[in-house]
Amino acid sequence: MLSRWCSRPGPWCSRPGQLSRRAVLPFFSLLALAAGLGLAPAGAAAQARFVFANESDYDTVDPHASFDVGRVAVRLNLYDGLMRWQDNPARLEPWIAESHSISSDGKTYTFKMRKGVKFHDGSEVKAADVVYSLERILALGKGAAALFKSMIEPGKAKAIDENTVAFELSKPSAIFLSIVPEIHIVNAALVKKNEVNGDWGAAWLSKNDAGSGAYKLKQFDPAIGFVGERFAAHFKGWGAKYLDEIEFRAVKDTNTRVLGLMKGDFNGIGGYLQTDQLKRIEASGNAKVLDAESMRVMMMQFNTTRAPLNDVDVRRALNYVFDYDGFNKNILGGLVERNPTPLPNTIWGNPKDVTGYSFDLDKAKAELAKAASKIDRPLEIHFLTGFAQSEQAAQLFQNGLQKIGVQSKVIGTPWPTIVERFSKPETTPDISVYWISTYYADPHNWIGEMFHSSGAGTFKNAHHYKNPKVDALLDKAVQTTDQAARAKLYEEATRLVVADAPGLWIYNTKWYGPYSKKLQGIVFCPIGNAQEMRTAYYE
Amino acid sequence: MGFAHVIRQLVSDRSALLGLVLVLLVVLAALLAPLISTHPEAVWDMSPANRLKPPSREWLLGTDRMGADIYSRVIYGARITLIIAFVAVGAALLIGVPIGLWAGWHEFWVGEALMRVSDVFLAVPQIVLAIAIAQTLGPSIENVILALSITYWPWFARLVYAEVRSLKHETFIEAAIALGVPKRRIVVQHVLPNVLSPIIVRTSIGMGFTILTAAALGFLGLGAPPPAPEWGRMISESREFLPEAWWYALAPGLAIFAVVMGFNLLGDGLRDVLDPRLRRAHDR
Amino acid sequence: MRILALIGKRLLWFVPTAAGLIAVVFFISRVIPADPAALLAGETASREAIEALRVKLGLDRPLLVQLLDYYRQLLKGDLGTSLFTTRPVAEDLLARLPATIELTLAAMLMAIAVGIPLGVVSATRRNSLLDHGVRIATVAGLAMASFWLALVLQLVFAMDLGWLPLQGRIAGFPPPAVTGFMTLDALIAGRFDRFASAIAHLLLPAMTLAVPALATVVRFTRAGVLDTLEKPFVTYQDAIGIPRALIVWKYVLRNALTSTITQIGLLFGILLAGAVVIETVFQWPGIGTYAFEAILQSDYAAVMGFTVYAGGIFMIANLLVDIAHASIDPRGGHA
Repeated sequence: MLSRWCSRPGPWCSRPGQLSRRAVLPFFSLLALAAGLGLAPAGAAAQARFVFANESDYDTVDPHASFDVGRVAVRLNLYDGLMRWQDNPARLEPWIAESHSISSDGKTYTFKMRKGVKFHDGSEVKAADVVYSLERILALGKGAAALFKSMIEPGKAKAIDENTVAFELSKPSAIFLSIVPEIHIVNAALVKKNEVNGDWGAAWLSKNDAGSGAYKLKQFDPAIGFVGERFAAHFKGWGAKYLDEIEFRAVKDTNTRVLGLMKGDFNGIGGYLQTDQLKRIEASGNAKVLDAESMRVMMMQFNTTRAPLNDVDVRRALNYVFDYDGFNKNILGGLVERNPTPLPNTIWGNPKDVTGYSFDLDKAKAELAKAASKIDRPLEIHFLTGFAQSEQAAQLFQNGLQKIGVQSKVIGTPWPTIVERFSKPETTPDISVYWISTYYADPHNWIGEMFHSSGAGTFKNAHHYKNPKVDALLDKAVQTTDQAARAKLYEEATRLVVADAPGLWIYNTKWYGPYSKKLQGIVFCPIGNAQEMRTAYYE
Repeated sequence: MGFAHVIRQLVSDRSALLGLVLVLLVVLAALLAPLISTHPEAVWDMSPANRLKPPSREWLLGTDRMGADIYSRVIYGARITLIIAFVAVGAALLIGVPIGLWAGWHEFWVGEALMRVSDVFLAVPQIVLAIAIAQTLGPSIENVILALSITYWPWFARLVYAEVRSLKHETFIEAAIALGVPKRRIVVQHVLPNVLSPIIVRTSIGMGFTILTAAALGFLGLGAPPPAPEWGRMISESREFLPEAWWYALAPGLAIFAVVMGFNLLGDGLRDVLDPRLRRAHDR
Repeated sequence: MRILALIGKRLLWFVPTAAGLIAVVFFISRVIPADPAALLAGETASREAIEALRVKLGLDRPLLVQLLDYYRQLLKGDLGTSLFTTRPVAEDLLARLPATIELTLAAMLMAIAVGIPLGVVSATRRNSLLDHGVRIATVAGLAMASFWLALVLQLVFAMDLGWLPLQGRIAGFPPPAVTGFMTLDALIAGRFDRFASAIAHLLLPAMTLAVPALATVVRFTRAGVLDTLEKPFVTYQDAIGIPRALIVWKYVLRNALTSTITQIGLLFGILLAGAVVIETVFQWPGIGTYAFEAILQSDYAAVMGFTVYAGGIFMIANLLVDIAHASIDPRGGHA
């Protein structure tokens, strides 16, 4: 209440959110008066405020330092890019760019930018800002940098004129456009002013805002989260109703988030919830649960370089051992849908007729009997520490293995540790249970990065899988521009991969968004997980 | 003071008797687990269809997130808890007591150095070092035991060291030395029996303490890996399902409570019987 | 003079003990199999970038050289840089220490405020129903797994009754930091709503932490009062007609608290240790959660920094206890 009242500096408040000492005394008398009359301080209700409880930390608000779903709210609300993923199924829309063209050799991308788009400090967004932003991404080497580095070298982005920017790729790439939205445009002049020892303003931008997005940063504390206030001059304009202020707060415990939403402390919460929790939220009367098809595949990746998992019959046997229905329907309460291939059911390029493997212990035993190699040691199943779902999947898998006489160990490994272990075949676990989310809505995000032999050892590829046929198909797909032709190539690659069983694919996530009942205008997109707040408002 | 006398004394003290009974109950549960559990397969087998069922005739204490019977898992969990506690405290005894005896008797620089090493370990709360060690080695029963014994031996070393140092100047020991009794015989026949009482008391209290620390490691995800029915981890799993599955954490929590309380009461009782000196200072 | 000698002797041991502790923790934390360089480089970094960073951070040099370097840094008051937060560890710990101290002090306050009167009443009505009840409760308090107690309290007070928040230190953004104690800062900022929120958040974790401490305080107070009640001066005062209540609460208590006070000093260290687990359950942003997260992230600079900190506080607490004991009880040396 008080914080809203004091949200702007004025005679009452020396700083936003803080009462000056002079204000304290009259404030008390006012409070007493208000209490006596049974009135709330005036003006409190006028602001539409939205509080979101996120499952992970906002340790930085630098848009070029992260490329994950956990911190996506920073990038989508405070910053803009040339293009943006919108809606579901995700469409790539021109954003700050008006149009783009691709040269006939597929190597040069030219974007015409809108005129008159303003940064939060009132200066205009120019082509030079885009160039600086890409250079900054490549120089800092964080977030989406590795993907960009595989396509473009520093110095190859050029401002043709004030509002035209061109990128010259090292080789044609069908997915460059898909990741253009990750070039979040920062105010080059402002960042340069705050550079320290050539750090590209990294220290400053991790705590400050230099964007043009629909909201501008008002308050940030790495231990709490951030607050954005509406940027009235945003180039997209605003509807009749909107949120004046958005707060994204890190609340790591699921129960705290659920209870907070039901009590009205939060207006939206993140994270993947259990069936019982969703039921409780819907029953509370205060909140509702939106849902949408999404693209986030839960899977097990097998290390295919080592016995016995270098044997295709063993890998197939393992695919028959997991109780898919028991997991999807009982443990997750039917919140998810079986996804039999590495590609999400909902994306193009996924062969619809492939039904994959089912839970069948007899078939598993038969495959195992066929196998040339015998399983003579316990297999190691690694799940992600702190992610209960991956642990439960690992346990259920272990249970299935035990039933066909295969011993295994279930081990929890934190994300950074497991990613490091993936880098070499010798250290990669036998079996790793985790998810691949939508970093960009293109089949390459899954099958391309997961199974091309050149990607072995990255966080998306713990298979260390090498199949020249698959490599050739994927190479061709990434250099082809026609989507129908690419779809065919990805379908073929997917068939080969499923038959070869270098992994086991469990489900495709459905998205459930718990929100306050009065909140409207939430638009879900698999890339932003509905955290772009520009269109939301209260009834 | 004979064994029978100690037992008689313990049984006559109501709270010590309660402790003894609690400890014996848990030991019996661990030994007879296959007989008294209703779903012995629950230790490894899962039935997702029966997930999170409340207590009923079929599942006495309800089921967990994998559809396994919590009652049977808690019973089998007693084995893990007791093995960790017995082996870890036993190892700490085997390391700590000889070091304390030797360092206390000889007052040689190596002994002093060892006591300084034990000071280093005592300078930080046990759980802090245990977490660091368990995390380094990876979660398993063996590593929990290792972490706990590495961090617990200094307690015994310190205790024995202090006792031996004060005993050395007792008349009967000085007399034995003067009479030329071999040193090894003095230590084994005269010193050791006299430090036995505080060691026994410390062991019983240490069992309770070690069980709590081991459970905390399990709770933090550093204990026995799944599907082992480790009590601390069962409680940690249950957090996500509160308040709906209120029964989930109940049984493992009460089990930890009962066994720790048992060892603590027994320890207090033993102190009263074996070490009347301490009795007044602590409690009555 | 004796006290000064004692302090001197203890301080003399302080340095080698601390150095030994640092060495132990250093070797433990450097064996953690994860690669700190890979973590810092980011999830999509190439292998070459990780190697380059490893060299830059000096992680490729022999362990002993790294240890000596660490000592050198420590002498300058530098605990290294956290690989995870990318801030100096000393700064991180200092920023989080007030949260832990606030929690620990609140727990201690609860334990003393409830524990001493309970101990006295229990002793004066020895073997009454109340005495038996208190004795059972103290044994129980020491036998409960703190994280389980935390869950039970959360279940009752936060989830079922909805009176108190489940986790965290305050709802939303904290008042401007002056002392680092959320409650005080809220008052300084004149924000009573924030103050109420801070207190509400403090209650459950402090209660959980206070239970074993409370049990200890009760036990020692009770034993101390029982001992003192048998002393001749009590019989004498009783005989000359001083009211019983005055005797107990003034004269007896003062005498009986000697051992309790030394226990309270020790408790502070024990509470700090308990905070590691309790803070994790309540997501309390103190040095306990910091340490736990650092261990999970293989953030070895942060792990060592925490252990040095915790060890330092623990050792200082022990030193103070010895001094207090020596000055209160001039008869004997330290126990």
